Amino acid sequence: METLVPLQNILYMPRTSMTTEGNKTGSWRFLRPRYEEKTSPCSTACPAGEDIARIEMLITQGAFKEAWETILMENPLPGVCGRVCYHPCEGRCNRREFDAAVAIHTMERFLADAAARNDTKPALPRQPSAGRRIAIIGSGPAGLSAAWFLNILGYETEIFEAMSAPGGMLRWGIPAYRLPEAVLNQELARIESQGIRIRTGEAVSDTRFEELRKTYDAVFLGCGYWRDRPLNIPGEASPGVEDGLSFLREIRGGVNREAPGVSAVIGGGNTAIDVARSIIRKGGKAIIVYRRRQEDMPAFAEEVQSALEEGVELRELLAPVRIDATGADLILTLQPMTIAGQDRDGRGKIVPADTAPETMTVQRIFTATGAEAAAPWHQPPATEDQGGTHHLSHCVLIQDDRGIPVVFGGDLTTKDKNVTQAIASGKQAALALDILFRHGAGAVRERLASCLVGGGPSLSLEIYLGGPRKGRNAHIVAYEEINADYFQYEPRVVQPRLLIEERLSSFDEIELKISAHTAMREAGRCFNCGICNGCDNCYLFCPDVSILRTRDMTDRHINYDYCKGCGLCVAECPRNAMTLDEEGTL
Amino acid sequence: MKKVLEGSQAVAEAVRLAKVQVISAYPITPQTHIVEILSDYVTTGRMNAKYLRVESEHSCMAALIGAQSAGVRTFTATCSQGLALMHELLHWASGARLPIVMGEVNRALAPGWNIWSDQTDSLAQRDTGWIQLYCEDSQEVLDTTIMAYRLAEKVNLPAMVVLDAFFLSHTYEPVDIPDQEEVDRFLPPYNPAFILDPRNPYSLSPLVTPNAYLEMRHDIAAAMEDALAVFDEVEGDFARIMGRRYGVVEEINCQDADIIFVTSGTVTSTARLALEELRSQGEKVGALKIKLFRPFPVEAVRRALVRAGKVVVVDRNFSFGASGIFAQEVRAALCNAPGHPPVFGYIAGLGGRDITAQLLSDIYFEVKRSERPGRESVWVGLQEVNRAT
Repeated sequence: METLVPLQNILYMPRTSMTTEGNKTGSWRFLRPRYEEKTSPCSTACPAGEDIARIEMLITQGAFKEAWETILMENPLPGVCGRVCYHPCEGRCNRREFDAAVAIHTMERFLADAAARNDTKPALPRQPSAGRRIAIIGSGPAGLSAAWFLNILGYETEIFEAMSAPGGMLRWGIPAYRLPEAVLNQELARIESQGIRIRTGEAVSDTRFEELRKTYDAVFLGCGYWRDRPLNIPGEASPGVEDGLSFLREIRGGVNREAPGVSAVIGGGNTAIDVARSIIRKGGKAIIVYRRRQEDMPAFAEEVQSALEEGVELRELLAPVRIDATGADLILTLQPMTIAGQDRDGRGKIVPADTAPETMTVQRIFTATGAEAAAPWHQPPATEDQGGTHHLSHCVLIQDDRGIPVVFGGDLTTKDKNVTQAIASGKQAALALDILFRHGAGAVRERLASCLVGGGPSLSLEIYLGGPRKGRNAHIVAYEEINADYFQYEPRVVQPRLLIEERLSSFDEIELKISAHTAMREAGRCFNCGICNGCDNCYLFCPDVSILRTRDMTDRHINYDYCKGCGLCVAECPRNAMTLDEEGTL
Repeated sequence: MKKVLEGSQAVAEAVRLAKVQVISAYPITPQTHIVEILSDYVTTGRMNAKYLRVESEHSCMAALIGAQSAGVRTFTATCSQGLALMHELLHWASGARLPIVMGEVNRALAPGWNIWSDQTDSLAQRDTGWIQLYCEDSQEVLDTTIMAYRLAEKVNLPAMVVLDAFFLSHTYEPVDIPDQEEVDRFLPPYNPAFILDPRNPYSLSPLVTPNAYLEMRHDIAAAMEDALAVFDEVEGDFARIMGRRYGVVEEINCQDADIIFVTSGTVTSTARLALEELRSQGEKVGALKIKLFRPFPVEAVRRALVRAGKVVVVDRNFSFGASGIFAQEVRAALCNAPGHPPVFGYIAGLGGRDITAQLLSDIYFEVKRSERPGRESVWVGLQEVNRAT
């Protein structure tokens, strides 16, 4: 439709084809944002120093193999740890302050299950051969860990295992309902497929040990604590009194053990719980007798809870003083105890109560009050007085004039005796030996300190090898540093479990699998504290179009020619993967 | 097709029929129904448009400036605080000669927090270079919104279609909705005067020196002058297809009137009622409805009013320190006409208070009794209040 009105206006619009690039607004800046990844609290709480924030990010992206490999860089046993680790990571998860911790252990197990189902082969960066052979005594978690990391670092490793099958405590000490044999076998098969040799049925005596010292370049001693600690009370040698670890070992070994009647289990650690729950499954009744209180038990709280659910009875503040055998029964005499102040470790200090001893009639007594080294030479020197002995956080390294270096690790040296600490010990031993061979014993402490996760105590192989994780700031991201506006309340995944009835009649694994979809949703709850997950908030919010992305969108950087330093990118980063500095302070 | 519609729905129907391509809005009562309906149309595919959610009205207008510069037809709706927040970008839209169309629901400005009808929000934007069209009923809202696109795109200026809160936005009336084919005949696809084109890059609105700024502003003034004439032409085309037209002003019984009310928005309907009653009593009273406020139709207003004995302007708005805003404009339009009538200014209905036919009748008799206006503005219906001590 043509206009009938003659228009007076012919648009007079200012426009220019000249670039505005000459106006470098970056010169106005007095604050300078930069990408700086930081350390997630979970990764510092993990004894194995797993890169959890990144693992969860990869799961959200469906990159399950990469996520699994990211674990394997720091921990050779995700299938085991996803089941039996006490997951201290979740205790430090920043998401706890928002709704509930991310189910990190469930994610770890999911990745291991997915890799096993698909028979995935990991692609890990193996260092060039160091031309050295390391003997490892014991194929428990510490020995497997030491072998795994030494293997990646280019060493030839051989594991000597006294038992008929490898795994140590994983195979003989942890009941199948917590760690099925098939899972352990899959982990072992993968470890062996990396070129690690496991020689089963080869017990190492003290003389054989001396021989190994002559034929290998180093020895790692991770043979664990296998001898039950005696109760030191009258009657403990009576028939019907046996040690808990042997009971567990026999069940795992396929011995048809029955546990009729009532059994008392003496102790408060994980072994006591495992023994009691195994008795229940064998048709017996189990009463745990502990001289302290439930809250003082070294056993993992979740395990104690499960035991109580399954009908295990717990009697607290009772110390055994004697055992009398009468016919088929055992009479356990117990001294009631009471709390008087606190121990040095913060637990209640116990003293005998004024009340008279009581008795408990049972058919069987299992001791589970702790284990100790099976032979005196398994014990490392207690002090550093002798030259060449280095007491590290998780192992003891000896480089003396008798020749090759020896490392004591696992239960022999760790303060807390559990699988993940043993893995940490094996990793520390591997790194320490590599440093020793490359830079001498004097460099060990300093170089180990440079690959701590967030200041320690966990070590990272990736940091040691100078991988991308080395570039992260050791600063541990606090909840206050998360921009929680970007997150919504989401319930934590509930892992499906067997019914109590099903649990009581078999050693089948209690916790069941979750789907990939569920895992991705749960991993999506992770704040990814301190690491960039490519959310692009920085890019979206930058008012100066000064966030530049690579063509494949995988990398971002700041165009300082035009960045005015408003800091919006840093404020809107949900996970503190950016830092704002005053210009000139760097 | 006739349907019973809310004023808000009438706006949304017009936007759909105008085949708008980009909508951006931030919700604010009493405008929200408009953009709710539009977001539904976009989501369900009844409209082939992009709907941009934004965090403020300021960003909303900025987004539309960007979209319109890229050569697409755009729409937003807002009111009151939202419009005030847009203020900076209202100047930008007109300065950049972008024919953006906005639905503006007249709502009072806070404090006190008040969601009801009051014209001060839109009238406070009178100097931003936007065409302003005030509507009396929902049919007019629909028709005006469609016409606003033709007008705005012809003169390259943005336009706001203004409707009273609740009295129009939330009131159901029968509305004749034109067919798409009819609207297409009236409103051709948007043919922008210039667009930002990445294949031929340039930047718009760079630094302009005193050497060019005066001319740019003069162009906008000239375009506003054009808009007055173009509006008649647009309405002519519209009337040929739809059979309805409104005029920049409408004279109601003005020919022989001694006293003429000047009204805008829904008050005009009330005035029609009051006129019927007063005329039946033999009173020579008329009303002048002002539809087009920017550009202000000076000639038409002067023509209609200069013969009257007295003019009384009823303003549902106020410019503090001056007077009712329509009254100011009417005085300015008349002051150079020899022997022009005195202009009585009445302030009524602020913040949604009712302006009834009885109230207008009372004003009429008061004006009839008065020789000349005593004050610039008479506030009617003031009540005793308890003041804070």
